[in-house]
Amino acid sequence: MRLNRDTIIAIVLLFLSGALFVSTYQLPAAMFGQLPSSLWPRIILIPLAILAFILLIQAQRTTADPSATSMGLRQWLQYYRNPIVVFFLFFLFLVTMPVLGMLIGGVLYVFVTLNVLGGWGRKQLLQHGLISAVFVIGMWTVFTQLLGVFLPEGILLRVY
Amino acid sequence: MNLFSSLGLAAPELFTITTMALMMAGTFAGLLAGAIPGFTIAMAVVLVLPFTFAMSPVQGLATMIAVYVGGLSGGLMSGILTGIPGTPSSVATTFDGYPLAKSGKPGLALGIGVWSSFFGGVIASVVLMLVAPQLAMIGLEFQPVDFFALVIFALTVTASLAGDQMLKGLIGALFGLLIATVGSDVVFGLPRFTFGVESASKGFAFLPVLVGLFAFSRLLGDVRDPENAVKRLGGDEAHAVHIDYVLSAKMVISRWVNVVRSSLLGVFIGVLPAAGSTISNILAYDQAKKASKEPETFGKGAIDGIIAPESANNATAGGALIVMMALGLPGDIMTAIMLGALLVHDVIPSPSFISDEPKIAYSIFLAFFVANFMMLFLQSITLRGFVLITKVKMYMLTAVILFYCALGIFALNNIAYDMWTLFVFGVLGFVMRALGFPVVPIVLGVVLGNIAEVRLSQVFARGDGLEAFLTRPWALFFLLLSVFSILFPFYQKHLGKPGWTTYFVPMLLIVMAGPVFMMPGVIRPVIAGLMLAAGIVQLITRLRNGQSGPEKI
Repeated sequence: MRLNRDTIIAIVLLFLSGALFVSTYQLPAAMFGQLPSSLWPRIILIPLAILAFILLIQAQRTTADPSATSMGLRQWLQYYRNPIVVFFLFFLFLVTMPVLGMLIGGVLYVFVTLNVLGGWGRKQLLQHGLISAVFVIGMWTVFTQLLGVFLPEGILLRVY
Repeated sequence: MNLFSSLGLAAPELFTITTMALMMAGTFAGLLAGAIPGFTIAMAVVLVLPFTFAMSPVQGLATMIAVYVGGLSGGLMSGILTGIPGTPSSVATTFDGYPLAKSGKPGLALGIGVWSSFFGGVIASVVLMLVAPQLAMIGLEFQPVDFFALVIFALTVTASLAGDQMLKGLIGALFGLLIATVGSDVVFGLPRFTFGVESASKGFAFLPVLVGLFAFSRLLGDVRDPENAVKRLGGDEAHAVHIDYVLSAKMVISRWVNVVRSSLLGVFIGVLPAAGSTISNILAYDQAKKASKEPETFGKGAIDGIIAPESANNATAGGALIVMMALGLPGDIMTAIMLGALLVHDVIPSPSFISDEPKIAYSIFLAFFVANFMMLFLQSITLRGFVLITKVKMYMLTAVILFYCALGIFALNNIAYDMWTLFVFGVLGFVMRALGFPVVPIVLGVVLGNIAEVRLSQVFARGDGLEAFLTRPWALFFLLLSVFSILFPFYQKHLGKPGWTTYFVPMLLIVMAGPVFMMPGVIRPVIAGLMLAAGIVQLITRLRNGQSGPEKI
C-alpha cells in the first residue's frame, strides 16, 4: 500500500465514519412517524465512507510525482511557521480572555501578531502599536458604547 | 386595486424626509456590517430592530430593508478585497472577485460588483411588483420532500463547482452535514455526537463555523509565506486603484443576459422559504459558468463570475420579501426578523396581506426599490474608502481582521463558546484547505444540514414514503438536476471529444421535461413539451452527425 497524503486522509475518514456509525446505535429509537435520531447521521456516514473508499483507491492508483519532495518535521514547521504562530497567539488570546478581557487581550493579540508577522524593528514597533491601539480600541468603543454590546471585561478592568 | 393606484397610496407614506433619512442611515449601517467579516447582516438587522419599535410600520420596515440591501451589497467589498465573504450570500463573489482584485484590478472588480448588485435589486423590485402573487403561489407548492431535494441539489452543485476536486468537494459537503449533526437532534432534542462535552450539546452556530473556516484558511494561507505576508493586498500597484464606474457599468450592461438570468434565479430562490441568498449566489455562479463561452476563466477573475452571484443575492431579498408578506413565511433569517417587526406592529402577514394592506405591502416594495438606489449612491462615495484596504500590507489585515472576527462572533450570542468554535473551525479549515479540500462545500453542508434534517423529519411526520421523491414534481426535478450537476464537470472536461458528452444536453432537456410536465397548470406542461421537442430534435441531429457541436446549456 502506498502511504501518501490522500491515503492517510481516506483511512482517517473511514475510521471516523465507522466509529460514528457504531455510536449511532446508542441514540434513542424513534416512535411511530418520527425521524429516528440515528437515521440522518447514517444517511451522511454511508456515502462518506463510500467516497472515502473511492479516495483511497484513487490515491493508490495515482503515480507518485518524482519532483515532489517530502518534508521533514523541521522543514514542515518552518513552512507553516506563520500560521502555527498565529493560531497559537489566538489560542492564548482566548485562554487569557477571562483575565485580560477583550480590550487588553485584543490590543496585545493584535500587537504581538503584527510584530511576529511583520518584524520587531523600532519603526515597526511604533506602527504596530498605533494600529493595535486605534483599530482595537476603536472597534471596542463602537461595540460597547454605540451598540451597547457587553464584551468580556476581564479581571483587570472589572470595577465592580 | 391596480398596481399604480397601490403605489400611489404607498408613496406618500414612504417618501418623507424622516423615512428617507432613516433608510439612508440603514443602508450605510448595512454596507458597514456586510463589509466587516464576522459582523453579519442578520446581526445588523437584529441591532436595528429595537429602534423600529418606536417608528411607524412603514418607517420601521423601510429602515430594516435598507439595512438588508446595504448588507447584501456590503458583503462584496470584503469578499472582493480580502477573499473573505462578509456574509454567506457573497461566498461565490469571492471565487472571481478576489482573483480579479489580486490581479491588480480591485477597482474594476468592485465597480462590477456594485452595478450587478444594483441591477439585481432593481430587476427584483420590478418582478416583485408585477408578479408577486404568482410567484408566491409557486412557493406554496413546495412540500418538505421538495425542500429536502433542493438542499441535496444545492450541495451537489457546490461540490461540482470544485471541478477536478469534485470527490473532495463531495466529501467536504458530507463532512459539513456531519458537523451540523453535532448537538441536539431535531426530533427529540437529545444530545448527539457530543461525547459528554456539555457545551457541545447546543451544536455549532453556523456563523462561527463559517467565519472560522473562511477567515483563518484564507488569511493564513496568504501570510504563510513570510515574503508574501509583508506585501500589500493589491500588490505593488495598490496605490493606482481607480474605480471606473462608467466602464464597469458598460461591462455589466453588455452582459445583460447574465444579469437578467441571475436576477430571476435569485428571485425564484428567494421565493422558496428557507432557501435564501446563501444558495442563490452559488447557483447563479454555476449557471453563469455553464452558460459561459469561456468557462475555463471562472475562478481566475471572470467578469461573469462576479456579475452572477451579486445580481442573484440582491434579487433573492426581493423573492424572500414576497413570501414573507404573502405567506408569513421567512425566506431567510433577515425576513424572519422583519416578520417579527411586522407582528410587533400588529400587522399579520397572510395570503391576503398584499390586497388587505396595500399601503404597507407596496411601501415595502417601493422601499426595496429605493434602497437599491441609496446603496448605489453610498457605495460610490464609500467605495474609495474601502479600496484603501488594498494599500494595507497582508499581515496587518490578517491580525486586525482575525480580532474583528472574534469580536463580531462573540457579540452574536455573547458567549465565549462561539469564539472557541471559531478557533477550532479555523484550524480545521486551514488543515482541510492544505489537504486539498475546497472549503465552500463544507460551509454549505454546515449551513444546510439542519434545514435538511428538519425537512426530512417533516417528511417522516407526514408519512410520505420514499416514493414521494419520484412522484412529487419539484423533488424529482431537483434530484434529477443533482445527477446532471454531478456529471457536469466530466461533461465539461470531455466537451468537444466524441462520446457521451454529445448527448448530454439533449438528454438533460428530455429528462428534465418529465418533472416539469408533472407540474400543475398549463404553462409548465407546455414548457415541458417544448423542452422534450428540443431535446429530441437535438438528439436526432447528433445521432445523424455522430459528433458533438459547440453545445452549451
